[in-house]
Amino acid sequence: MNSGDVMSRIVEIRDLKKSYEDGNIKALNGISLDIEEGEFVSIIGPSGSGKSTLLNMLGALDIADSGSIRVAGYDLKENKKLNVFRGDKIGFVFQLHNLIPNISVCENVEIPMYTQGLSSKDMRKRSLELLDEVGLKDKADIRPTKLSGGERQRVAIARALANNPSIILADEPTGSLDSKTSNRILELLINLHKEEKVTLIVVTHDMEVAKLADRIIEVLDGKIINAEDGTLLENKIRVEN
Amino acid sequence: MSFLSLIIKNPFRNKSRALLAIIGIGIGIATIIALGAITEGMISSADDTLRAGGSDFTVSGKVEGESSQMVGFGTSSFDDDYVDKLANVSGVDRAVPIYMTLLMTKNSPYFAVIGMNPSDYKIAELTITDGRMYKDGTDEIVLGKIAADNEEKEVGDTILLDDKEFDIVGIYESGNSYQDQGGFTSLDNSQKLSDDEGKVSTIYIKVDKDADVETVEKRIDDEYGDNLTTISSLSDLDMVKNMIDMLNGASLAISILAVVIGAVGIINTMLTSVYERTRELGVLKAVGWSDGKILLMIIGESIVITIVAGIIGSIAGIIGVELIVLSNIMPLLTPIYTVNIFVQAFSIALFVGIIGGIYPALKAVKLPPTEALRYE
Ligand SMILES: Nc1ncnc2c1ncn2[C@@H]1O[C@H](COP(=O)(O)OP(=O)(O)O)[C@@H](O)[C@H]1O
Ligand SMILES: [Mg+2]
Repeated sequence: MNSGDVMSRIVEIRDLKKSYEDGNIKALNGISLDIEEGEFVSIIGPSGSGKSTLLNMLGALDIADSGSIRVAGYDLKENKKLNVFRGDKIGFVFQLHNLIPNISVCENVEIPMYTQGLSSKDMRKRSLELLDEVGLKDKADIRPTKLSGGERQRVAIARALANNPSIILADEPTGSLDSKTSNRILELLINLHKEEKVTLIVVTHDMEVAKLADRIIEVLDGKIINAEDGTLLENKIRVEN
Repeated sequence: MSFLSLIIKNPFRNKSRALLAIIGIGIGIATIIALGAITEGMISSADDTLRAGGSDFTVSGKVEGESSQMVGFGTSSFDDDYVDKLANVSGVDRAVPIYMTLLMTKNSPYFAVIGMNPSDYKIAELTITDGRMYKDGTDEIVLGKIAADNEEKEVGDTILLDDKEFDIVGIYESGNSYQDQGGFTSLDNSQKLSDDEGKVSTIYIKVDKDADVETVEKRIDDEYGDNLTTISSLSDLDMVKNMIDMLNGASLAISILAVVIGAVGIINTMLTSVYERTRELGVLKAVGWSDGKILLMIIGESIVITIVAGIIGSIAGIIGVELIVLSNIMPLLTPIYTVNIFVQAFSIALFVGIIGGIYPALKAVKLPPTEALRYE
């Protein structure tokens, strides 16, 4: 995907390495990757291949052992205020919604806004707007425990959008949902990406999901094996299964 | 929703756990409040009794050794010729002899019989609410309002004190619970009740208008200090002082115990809460919350628990003290709730909240976000 040379680079990763358990598990084994602003990229690969680790690096939830990583103008290896970066630039959507059970849907969406110095009134206003976008405005004041799985994930998406992020990082966002609900969640994410021009990076192990993206990146054993050729990937996965 | 309301809501997610922590700390707070109110009450009622209305200070017999005869507040009786001697000390306006003795009656374990010349009644600041003052050389007595209630007596009745019958001619109120639970009669009658004729237990001193109280006190000390002791405030009385020291010591020990037990309890409560919310803490980190904010939230939640415990403990403490008063286990007890007691209790609650919250909060902060999000 090389549509438009005016795009600026939002992700720039060079030879990124990360190991766990004293180097015994090489979760990332030399990853280099560029992503343009406004792109929709999917990251696919089998379980344990390092997809989540890569996504966590992008969102500065984890720090690499070596290599360089720049995201949205932040050098994530040098920067100390990573929480500010996360709060301002990143919206996470996890496989499990991770909503707080004892506060309302609306208040859950407000959680990221505490870093932005908004008044409670403005927080609620913004939260209701976001819930409207994901079609849950009428459920704003009930507890998330009363919602279905798909609805909870929509709340999580609204929460990810709270601070107008530059990038949405979604780690298997439909992994725990049935296929019909999955499609609606993906549709929602893709629409938001198109309307808000937000960069969308989705981790999945489902090729059908991956194919919706502008670009597919396949990860295997902590390395990117093919960042362009979708057909080849599909064949490879068929062979593996 | 404000950050503060989030902090206030969070501890009550697990209601039974919050309740247990609150009870644990609340018991300590209740004890601190109760002991404080009792101590303050003792200080003030002892002070009232010593000061007895219009007097500037009192003079008592020196207690020689532990075994001396104890009268009233731990002083021994002494010869009544000191009354005239003290009256002649320069600067003394009046020296009022008092003979105080504690009796037991059918209805009350402590009944203070205070002997005083009826002409001196002004210095005791008694208000006769019913009947009249007693006369010298009779078997007349006036009863305090509480005593009259306890004994179910009114003006015109008689009362038996140590097998001797007295005519009740009046009821008074002094505002001092010690005095209101007893009666006033003539000096003579009171001395006879204790087989201690010619003695007094206390002399109230009123100094001349233009005399300096401390100077007069010092003159008496200098001249009669071998046999008498002047008491201008409560702290001059060893027995009362010891008792209050003891109560204060108990209060301190219980405060320390409350802090230790409370802190251990709250650490345990908050640690459990942090572990249970591991994933959620991961989310807070992922959405950009700073370490400071997470620290503040956890310590804040801990403080919310201890402050609620402070409120509930204070109420329980007051109820406990009032139950003691109602049950009459300590008949002379008039608890006093000073602001200071509550300030102390809430400072302890706050302190326990901060101390107990710090370690769990640091645990929450140190949690790597990826591990928190992987946590099952
Ligand atoms: N915090 C961690 N501690 C230890 N091992 C980890 C940690 N995170 C990931 N791993 C390991 O690193 C490898 C890659 O994991 P992950 O990135 O989660 O894979 P994926 O998301 O593709 O399934 C796996 O072997 C996993 O067990
Ligand atoms: Mg994963």
